[in-house]
Amino acid sequence: MAEGRVVRVGVTVGLLAATHFLLHVGFSWGRGAPDLLTLAVLLAAREVRAGPAAAVGLAMGLLEDALSVLSFGANTVAMTIVGIAGALSRDLFVGDSRFFLGAYLFLGKVARDLVRWASVGDELRQSFVDQVLIDGAVSGLYVAAIGWLVAALTGVASAGRDP
Amino acid sequence: MPPYGTDPAWGGRSRDVLAAAVVLILALSTLFLSVDNQRRIASGLQQSALRPFIGVQRRLGDARVRAAQVDSMLAVVDSLSAMLSTHAALVEENSTLRGLLDLSERTVPTYLPATLLRPGTPGAESMFIVDVGSDDGVTAGSPVVGPFGLVGVVREVRDREAVGIDWTHPDFRASAMVTDGSAFGLIENRPGRFREEDRLVLNGIPFNSKIDPEAVVVTSGLGGVFPRGIPVGRIDGLADSQGEWRKSYWLDPMVFPASATHVLVITGEASEAAPGAWPVGPADSTRASDGDAAGVEGGSRG
Repeated sequence: MAEGRVVRVGVTVGLLAATHFLLHVGFSWGRGAPDLLTLAVLLAAREVRAGPAAAVGLAMGLLEDALSVLSFGANTVAMTIVGIAGALSRDLFVGDSRFFLGAYLFLGKVARDLVRWASVGDELRQSFVDQVLIDGAVSGLYVAAIGWLVAALTGVASAGRDP
Repeated sequence: MPPYGTDPAWGGRSRDVLAAAVVLILALSTLFLSVDNQRRIASGLQQSALRPFIGVQRRLGDARVRAAQVDSMLAVVDSLSAMLSTHAALVEENSTLRGLLDLSERTVPTYLPATLLRPGTPGAESMFIVDVGSDDGVTAGSPVVGPFGLVGVVREVRDREAVGIDWTHPDFRASAMVTDGSAFGLIENRPGRFREEDRLVLNGIPFNSKIDPEAVVVTSGLGGVFPRGIPVGRIDGLADSQGEWRKSYWLDPMVFPASATHVLVITGEASEAAPGAWPVGPADSTRASDGDAAGVEGGSRG
């Protein structure tokens, strides 16, 4: 990957992470703010190999878990798996269309919620339908919409990728 | 004809998959770290990478309180002034009576005002950070209270801040009693289908004890964590009964933790909270609600 593209991906991931914590922690928007950490991992995973994608997922998950006293590690595992799966998906699906990107981001977010749901303890695990199917689907659409915008603005995970 | 052999790209790919597997194992290991190590990692990240964002929330919270709650704060100051005008005479009278009976002075706890911050990220729903720490005398187990009653308890203390859990945390427990002392039990959180449906339950009440509807439940002081007399909630009906020996009651909480922004952290050795510190009157007159006293705004739970 060209150096310029690496910088662009790095800056995008950094900005998304900073915005995520600014909205969720700084402004206390809670569920009103989109899950930009998962979006950062998913976008980065379309640009880098599985190892670095897993590392980005690990770092983002640890940051999110640092604010969790209930289920430390659940976000870390979920983000790492999503990062690896996102990177491996490049071998299976090649596409730069908006529909593909939207579907990828939507499924990525639902998958992240699914893995997190499976990783948290029994005490905290809520109903699968409520937490994964309903909450996950709504927040997946939210992430997909924001992802389209970010991809269009930054060019990350969209056409023009270097070989 | 080139010789048969491994695809040159294969070596790089296998190394990449190996690296991903190592990172995944690292991620999985975080689930099985000891609680101390998990706290150490969380604490390190909170004090480094996440510090600016926590700082933003603190500053915004302070500004919001200063801007929006001046009227309610003035009302509280007026009420306190009225209370204090009669307090001095009572203190003197109490001191005289204690002197006559040869009783020592009662130890009352110290209340530290603090700003309560909430991370607002998944998994952090029952957690909060207060901007006072060990430098101010806060210790693990210090109770956190609001103008209307119990909010939670401090779990982890740093120099200038502390991390705590509120009553919606699955591990939260508090020994409690009805204000007239007729029944003692244990307060715990009963998870609902959604986090918003979590409720407080007063458990372990003897089957034959009769508790009035809407009776106020306060901490009993048993167990040594919470001083006696901090309001927790009001009885809101029978939750369930086990055989014919034990009952539990739903509680309508005095404080919805998500609405608390400014709190008091109780420090020091004291078996009883400051008497008269909380207004315990008829139902709905004392509960945190929209536009109520400083530090508690809104009524929803998150």
